[in-house]
Amino acid sequence: MESIISTMAGQLGQVFVVLGAALAAGMAGSGSAWGIGIANEAAAGILTEDPKKFVSALILLALPGTQGIYGFLIAIIALRQAGIMGDASAVVTIWQGLAIGAACLPIAIAGFYSAIWQGKSSAASILLISKRPEQMGKAMVLPAMCETYAVLGLLVSFLMLRGIKVG
Amino acid sequence: MPRNDDYGYAVARIRALELQLFEPSRLQRIIDADGLDAALQVLAESGYARWMNEGARYDSALEAELCATFDEFAAFVPDRELIDVFRIPYDFHNVKVLLKGFFKAKPGGKKRYDLLTRLGSVPPDDLVSRVESEEYGLLPWRLSETIPSCVSMWEQNADIVEIERALDRRMFAEIISLAASLGFPGVISWTRARVDSENIRNLLRMKRFGFDSSAAEPFFHDGGTVAVSALVSMISDQPDAWVRNFAYSYAGEAVSAAIGSGGFDFSEQMPALERALDDLCSSVVKGARYSTTAPENVTAYLWGKEMEIKNIRTILVSKAAKTNREGVKGMMRRGYFG
Repeated sequence: MESIISTMAGQLGQVFVVLGAALAAGMAGSGSAWGIGIANEAAAGILTEDPKKFVSALILLALPGTQGIYGFLIAIIALRQAGIMGDASAVVTIWQGLAIGAACLPIAIAGFYSAIWQGKSSAASILLISKRPEQMGKAMVLPAMCETYAVLGLLVSFLMLRGIKVG
Repeated sequence: MPRNDDYGYAVARIRALELQLFEPSRLQRIIDADGLDAALQVLAESGYARWMNEGARYDSALEAELCATFDEFAAFVPDRELIDVFRIPYDFHNVKVLLKGFFKAKPGGKKRYDLLTRLGSVPPDDLVSRVESEEYGLLPWRLSETIPSCVSMWEQNADIVEIERALDRRMFAEIISLAASLGFPGVISWTRARVDSENIRNLLRMKRFGFDSSAAEPFFHDGGTVAVSALVSMISDQPDAWVRNFAYSYAGEAVSAAIGSGGFDFSEQMPALERALDDLCSSVVKGARYSTTAPENVTAYLWGKEMEIKNIRTILVSKAAKTNREGVKGMMRRGYFG
């Protein structure tokens, strides 16, 4: 019984890391899929009447997809740092695992919400270019404002992961 | 009830479709055209061209365009009721035509089926066959109760005005109830504005024909923002006084702009009031254009389309009657772009 408990305690650090990585990739990815879905409806609406706007619509509806990539990136970094990917010799204590798992949360949460709102913003921009295609530049800048907060989430997660030393 | 999020596709499609609506500058080109043929030529350069076959009458083309718009919207709007709100008045128009035909038909006389419109939710052929065979059960908008009651009214007192009034009352009740069942605030406000507009029109007509307060009440419809009792009490006032009565309602500006502070001339100011009331309904749903998901965009577009067709019809009729351009310009509704 004692050996089982000590084995569990030894692996609990890695469990927290896996949980954090799963949240980073899962939540940010879900947010991106949601956001793209919202923008997609708007794109399909204008393409029904004007298929020539496909390229502009595609660029705008792809914008909420970046959060999914950020989440994926942080998940990979976290898994590598804990030795789950790549260096198998790394030993992660419970506290180190908890810290790595927590470091994944900024991109998980900021990525999830910013992607949804960016999707709504992209949908609005797609409506803008349906009437004024010459305003494509401004139409891209507006949803990009939501991107700022996903980038900040990515940056904070990255800096936190860099600050955690795993022996 | 669907949430606003279900309207992302529909609103985007409306944004693309609104490019085809006539802007004021385009209407001005038709107004400036020399004669009816030139005006029709300008119209033939637009989306209306597909309905303007050789020899086709322009009012058939306008009806076909509106009918195609309703059908197209019914295919992609999540709530069909949003389109039915626009189609109900045409169903009731068809019922009025049919009933008048039956009541006033002379033996061997011709029935005026040509006055039926395809814009209703029930195809005219179906409506005719159901009314002729007295199979009212399949008819929508509680027509199964309304038509038999109209028939019994005719048998009792043969008063066609009373029958029209009963049908109008039912029509507005159905529109209000349908909008309420959808639960979209902007659509409810728009239907209430339509009831208010009709009540204000009726108020003016009754004043013109010298009705007194006791006879006026049945001509007003429930469901508007202005209470029927308030409208009835206004019958005895002069139109100038109505401006004060409406001053604190959302219709105040429209009434004030049309009636003004001087003496009221029915023939001159009635068209101005009609236009102001249509513009009032447009203004109620105007705000939806700033939303990417509001179902009210459907109402705004369809009302805008109806106003566009009303404007074109007004211009073409004036061209045929050779009336002056400035007068026609003053009758133009703001519609979607107002």
